[in-house]
Amino acid sequence: MKSFAYASARSVDSAQQMVGDNGQYLAGGNDLLGLLKEYLVDPKILVNIKSIPGMDKIEPSGKVWNIGALVTVAQIESDPGIKKTFPGLAQAAADVGSQQIRNVASVGGNLAQHSRCWYFRHRDVLCLKKEGDMCYARHGENKFHSLFTGNNCISPVVSNLAIAFAALDAVAVVQREGQPVRMTMAELYAKAFDNPTAHNSLNPGDLILKVEVPVTRTHSAYLQTSEKHEFDWALVSCAAAAKVADGKLSQARVALGSISPVPHQVKGANDFLEGKTLDDATASQAADLILKNAKPHGHNDYKIPMAHAMIRRTLLKLNG
Amino acid sequence: MNNSDPGKAGSFSRRSFLKSIGTTAVATAAAQTQSIAAELEKANAETTIGPGAVPVTLQVNGEALKLQLEPRVTLLDALRNYSSLTGSKEGCDRGTCGACTVMIDDTPVYSCMKLAIEAQGHAITTVEGLAKDGKLTKVQQAFMERDALMCGYCTPGFVMSVSALLKKNFRPTADEVRHACVGNICRCGTYPRIMEAALQAAGVATAMNKTEVITYG
Repeated sequence: MKSFAYASARSVDSAQQMVGDNGQYLAGGNDLLGLLKEYLVDPKILVNIKSIPGMDKIEPSGKVWNIGALVTVAQIESDPGIKKTFPGLAQAAADVGSQQIRNVASVGGNLAQHSRCWYFRHRDVLCLKKEGDMCYARHGENKFHSLFTGNNCISPVVSNLAIAFAALDAVAVVQREGQPVRMTMAELYAKAFDNPTAHNSLNPGDLILKVEVPVTRTHSAYLQTSEKHEFDWALVSCAAAAKVADGKLSQARVALGSISPVPHQVKGANDFLEGKTLDDATASQAADLILKNAKPHGHNDYKIPMAHAMIRRTLLKLNG
Repeated sequence: MNNSDPGKAGSFSRRSFLKSIGTTAVATAAAQTQSIAAELEKANAETTIGPGAVPVTLQVNGEALKLQLEPRVTLLDALRNYSSLTGSKEGCDRGTCGACTVMIDDTPVYSCMKLAIEAQGHAITTVEGLAKDGKLTKVQQAFMERDALMCGYCTPGFVMSVSALLKKNFRPTADEVRHACVGNICRCGTYPRIMEAALQAAGVATAMNKTEVITYG
């Protein structure tokens, strides 16, 4: 690691002031220390944000839950209220890393973590994401990469929580230039879909404050498939949420991770599920709609049938 | 060693006297440094420190460790290379292998992915701090009895993960042990013995010499 200065912020304003143009925020540090050790980032100062009061709380309410950006992934996994109200979110948290990681990892850090693409993470490879002139994964080793993208980089979003939040229609509140800005999960990652150098829509200095999760959807589920049974990134992850009454779905949302730079959502599929009773045929039709136009790159061809199965399984979990 | 143990003789020996003096002094020092650390934190609020070395006080195994560290020094590095606590091992240095696992306030974390400067004001326990007065903990004893190690490099990390689990879950199932230990890797592959040791330490009956059939896919 190169050397850097260090400061603890007491407020959001001072954190933004101190981080300036050459700083990075430090919460759990799992992703940031990895980037520092590989010399992929070169901040002059790390601003500890764990010292900002009030950002580490889970606040339940009848309409919208507020989950602070400094809440740990372990808290999400084990909070009885979240397990009951948003089981899909609790499951997504339980599938993050190992206990040693979940104990320090924050909600904000999980959302803002950078690409896991092995070309990006290699300090000697100047890929498109690092303002080089080509994506090495496209014609190289791409078994972990995207089926969808709007640019030449095929590095996918790997945040478990983003996928569960997307299905729950949650909104991230981001402090930008002194003002809180509300962003859906689609908006939080939109920039990465078009711009290869972006991994999310956050500008330098932007700070995620909290996530607002509406309780509209009574049922939610999350499933992922990985090479290892536990402590691994998802090959494909899927979250679904809906209001289920008399066996019929309303306001259903399906989101997939690790197959696109954004949580992959298809409005047509969500609309198709409205008012439907879930059975294997319906789930299968929804999966067809969601995966239409998928473009595999050779080593990741397997992700299409895998994603199809994950969508069906996750949707059917909403039944009970 | 047992023959010369002054504790066994039941008399008041020079060694036990010095030992008790030592503990009291350490406890006092610990209390003082904690309040000093709290005041320092207050005074240093929003003050930028580094990138050069700054004073860092760590509470490791009940003792205050005063060091001069750059902010970039990880807790693992501080323990191993800036003091003599080499029990926590460096394997991957990327939060993947678990050999560096320590407890911070009874919670297991990877010390290689934590800046030492951020571990101030918390109670840090390393594998060296588990045994009290030379007596191994149940977990350590069970690892020995079940021979739950081959090369031994991963052992401190596994012992910390299992110890942390047993602190909050006295009677874990095999699945719960497995879930608690996924963040630790043993490249010799002595996982069945580690499982046996963990369950023995928890007082859960295990069948000796049982071969577990693992189904893949």
